[in-house]
Amino acid sequence: MKLTEEALKLDSATTATRIKRFIKDYVKKTKARGIVLGLSGGIDSSTTAAITSLAIGGNNVLALTLPEQETYNPTDIKHTKQLAKKFGFNTQTIDITPILKAYAHTIPTFDPTDKLTKGNLKARIRMTIIYYYANHQQRIVCGSSDKSETMMGYFTKYGDVAADISPLMDLYKTQVRQLASHIGIPKQIITKPSTPLLWPGHLAEKELGIKYELLDLILLGLENFMPTKDIAQQLGLPLEQINEIKTKWLSKEHKRRPPLTIKLGYRTIGADFRLPYTLH
Amino acid sequence: MPKEIKVTVAQTSCKIADKQDNIEKIRKNIRQAKGKAADLVIFPELSLTGYVCKDLAYELAEPVPGPSTRLIEKEARKNNIHIIFGMLEKSIKAEAVLYNTAVLIGPKGFIGKYQKTHLPTHSVFEEKRYFRPGYAAPIFKTEIGNLGMIICYDIYFPEITRLLRLQGAQLIACISASPSIRRGFFEVLTAARAMENTVFLAFANLAGIENGLQFWGGSRIIAPSGSIVKQAKYDEEDIIMAKINYSDLERVEVFVPVLRDLRPEFFTKLKELAENL
Repeated sequence: MKLTEEALKLDSATTATRIKRFIKDYVKKTKARGIVLGLSGGIDSSTTAAITSLAIGGNNVLALTLPEQETYNPTDIKHTKQLAKKFGFNTQTIDITPILKAYAHTIPTFDPTDKLTKGNLKARIRMTIIYYYANHQQRIVCGSSDKSETMMGYFTKYGDVAADISPLMDLYKTQVRQLASHIGIPKQIITKPSTPLLWPGHLAEKELGIKYELLDLILLGLENFMPTKDIAQQLGLPLEQINEIKTKWLSKEHKRRPPLTIKLGYRTIGADFRLPYTLH
Repeated sequence: MPKEIKVTVAQTSCKIADKQDNIEKIRKNIRQAKGKAADLVIFPELSLTGYVCKDLAYELAEPVPGPSTRLIEKEARKNNIHIIFGMLEKSIKAEAVLYNTAVLIGPKGFIGKYQKTHLPTHSVFEEKRYFRPGYAAPIFKTEIGNLGMIICYDIYFPEITRLLRLQGAQLIACISASPSIRRGFFEVLTAARAMENTVFLAFANLAGIENGLQFWGGSRIIAPSGSIVKQAKYDEEDIIMAKINYSDLERVEVFVPVLRDLRPEFFTKLKELAENL
């Protein structure tokens, strides 16, 4: 296969229809009272908030904006408000700073300089609040992880990735951008640099060390069983770089699966206990 | 045997592992088909249980004929109609030997069955994990014509449809659980199988979503020329009906005489090569 921009081109209209049908169908079958999601103002969560609203109506969607002091960005907040107005979903803003501070005071070994661990804690605090609303209001949690980040393991385990459904998870970041544009996400949201918001100045492409346009092509090659040397050759990149990305993808499978256990019984969870995801 | 029959395809969605609910839906569609004076109503693959049953298949499977087929037989008698539907079959000789089966029932009761011969075990499909493949492709000489049945992935293998046609099948029902990502393939293959065999083909696909798999519907009744006589909606539940006239077979066979022009001498070579792939 040819690894070109064309290979990642999305039939956005069909994809949007399928995703909307998937969301609507799941909410209906589970008899949930709506959807709750975390909205940072970035492209993935903005697209998720918008497409869930298009699927089940904005009045059935609650978007939680969960900023904290260190990474607070007024532009992101402005974007979430613009989006809520455009797509008609409900919003609630909860500052998680006091909760983070409580953790810092409570955990004897809390290390404020360990920015990754602190950042992951922020993502997990957000998750607990989102699930609080889900439980309390009988809503489904809709995740916004995309395929690029999920393949790279570029997320917080049991944090931002935690959800009941993740309708964008089979779309690479560059494909999410196409979908976002198709459903009318404002350009300033689509074009601003991606950030997981774990620490100040945290930028996804900088941390990953590669632009999404290129990363997505590499991942597409890996998805299609292409040997790394062929990917390197086609994209004019060093083989070591492709191998590194492949290793990262493979080594993060544990983040995408239920916890590993030792096979002891007749049928084992996560191994050969094969059941339908839902009974509807 | 009538020259003309009315064929209905009921494009249903299923509730996973809920036979009662699915049988109720089958009943409702039979009544609707009968209301349109249909002679035959065809339901999708595994329409009794849903497609994504995984390990639940063992407890859901039944002998064929068996309790569920008897329920459908009642409906066939009551409505004086022929019915084809898909279900999980359990062997009567073993405890955990299952088949993915198409069942044919007529107004006088159970007529026969076809056990899927090509079991997809790739991508999202894991049928070989659960099913034993069938070893026969029979046709059934009924009051409404000579009927053959195939199931979904079988359509990728032209041999099976040809085998049915060479036994005299006039109408082949392809019952299916084809997800959206395969729509392009099936739209081509269903027409091709009808055309290359000069046979009527009724494609009955599931609709709805099961565990993230979205079935594309698009069921259709195809003429021996390959043209679509009637097509159901994409993605949603639907029911379609068309009259088919078996005298069209002669007209098309004269125009494109594929059966006359068959070259059986190639078949031996095909077998040899396929065995040594």
